[in-house]
Amino acid sequence: MNDNLAKMREAAKRALESGDVGYVIGWGATKFPDKTSPLFMRKPEDAERLVWNEYAIPGIAKYLLDDLYPDKPIGVFVRGCDSRAINRMMKDNRIKRENLRLLGIPCDGKDDERCTICRNRNPLVYDELLWDEAPTPEPKDRYFRANAVEAMSADGRYAYWSEVFDQCIRCYACRNICPACNCKECYVDMTATGFQGKQHSRSDNLIFGVTRAFHVGDRCIECGECERVCPMGLPIMGQTQKILKDINELVGDYESGVDAESENYLGVFDLDDKDEFM
Amino acid sequence: MSVKETNDPKIIAFCCNWCTYTGADLAGLNRSHYPENVHIVRVPCSGRVNPQFILRAFRNGCDGVMVCGCHPGDCHYSTGNYFTRRRFTLMKRLLEYNGIDPGRFHARWISGSEAGKFRDTAEEVTAMVRKLGPNTRYREYARREMSADE
Ligand code: SF4
Ligand code: SF4
Repeated sequence: MNDNLAKMREAAKRALESGDVGYVIGWGATKFPDKTSPLFMRKPEDAERLVWNEYAIPGIAKYLLDDLYPDKPIGVFVRGCDSRAINRMMKDNRIKRENLRLLGIPCDGKDDERCTICRNRNPLVYDELLWDEAPTPEPKDRYFRANAVEAMSADGRYAYWSEVFDQCIRCYACRNICPACNCKECYVDMTATGFQGKQHSRSDNLIFGVTRAFHVGDRCIECGECERVCPMGLPIMGQTQKILKDINELVGDYESGVDAESENYLGVFDLDDKDEFM
Repeated sequence: MSVKETNDPKIIAFCCNWCTYTGADLAGLNRSHYPENVHIVRVPCSGRVNPQFILRAFRNGCDGVMVCGCHPGDCHYSTGNYFTRRRFTLMKRLLEYNGIDPGRFHARWISGSEAGKFRDTAEEVTAMVRKLGPNTRYREYARREMSADE
């Protein structure tokens, strides 16, 4: 681990000293020993503040959307999930590859539930790889949340989601962090359209939950950031996992963000799609 | 949109301008009767229907929703209904997963000449929703009480 941290500091320092990049995004320490926060390194000496340990969990790719027209490329450390987030945002035409300097860091898995379903620990897109790739261990049940909910009765499922979303405070943190949720404007901020109000009510919360899931569903990269940031700790991946499970049932193996070229499921069609309508 | 309090189901049908709406028109010309519970909203193409329309219909007091368009291959805009097919296959499953009865949401292909099919579908869906009773899920109670006072 320390070896790798030295390599990361070295790489960040080199990039900043050469002036190729405007700044580098990585992880920094917080006052809590078991938490890290995103770190923006602008000067070579800032590289000393970089940390890399089992708590370097937050996704850092979404911050690229805060600087869409940088003067110099932005350096980013990319694990597997960050690289998929970057693929997703490049495919969605939100960021450009030439604005990025990707420092690939094969991940060793963190102490987090979402890492048990990780399918790519090694970055899928990078400019340089800081150390050797290691194979990703066999992921656990990919749809663990959706499978548990599907086993309930219809009334049970409604009761389950009502209970979950009654707790939602509609802070929209899950939307803000999600790399697939990358629109410039979001329907939840446009209350005059009537899709959803501002009040805290069961119907509006449930509708927010379903709509958020449907808007990202086929583009979800299964990074689990939405659950990590939720201040109420809600199991909202249960909704997106259901959509991915259905897509995998309908068209076979489907995964979002593995490259920046393949189309998302709802953005294209096939003449031979399954026809369940009459 | 405010909804009057009745025990009779209220069903919204999003009908594509080129096929199903024409089919419903033909049903009218043929003087065939279909339940007045079905309220048609004309859309340019079934691909225009946003899944949020369905959630919004339930929220504002509808008991059932239909999305109807041209048969695959017949779309006026060539490909619109293929997108509809993908979108609503997923949406239907997601609604079911969230505990909405599958009988409350229907997607159908009805062409401009199928006046009989439109009438039969309207009758079938109305009967199904009537049996299920008024929808309470996703319903916006505050707003509904306000409109009942009017
Ligand atoms: S897991 Fe959550 S945050 Fe990550 S892409 Fe999917 S919906 Fe977005
Ligand atoms: S992060 Fe959690 S509490 Fe906040 S809007 Fe999303 S689901 Fe609701």
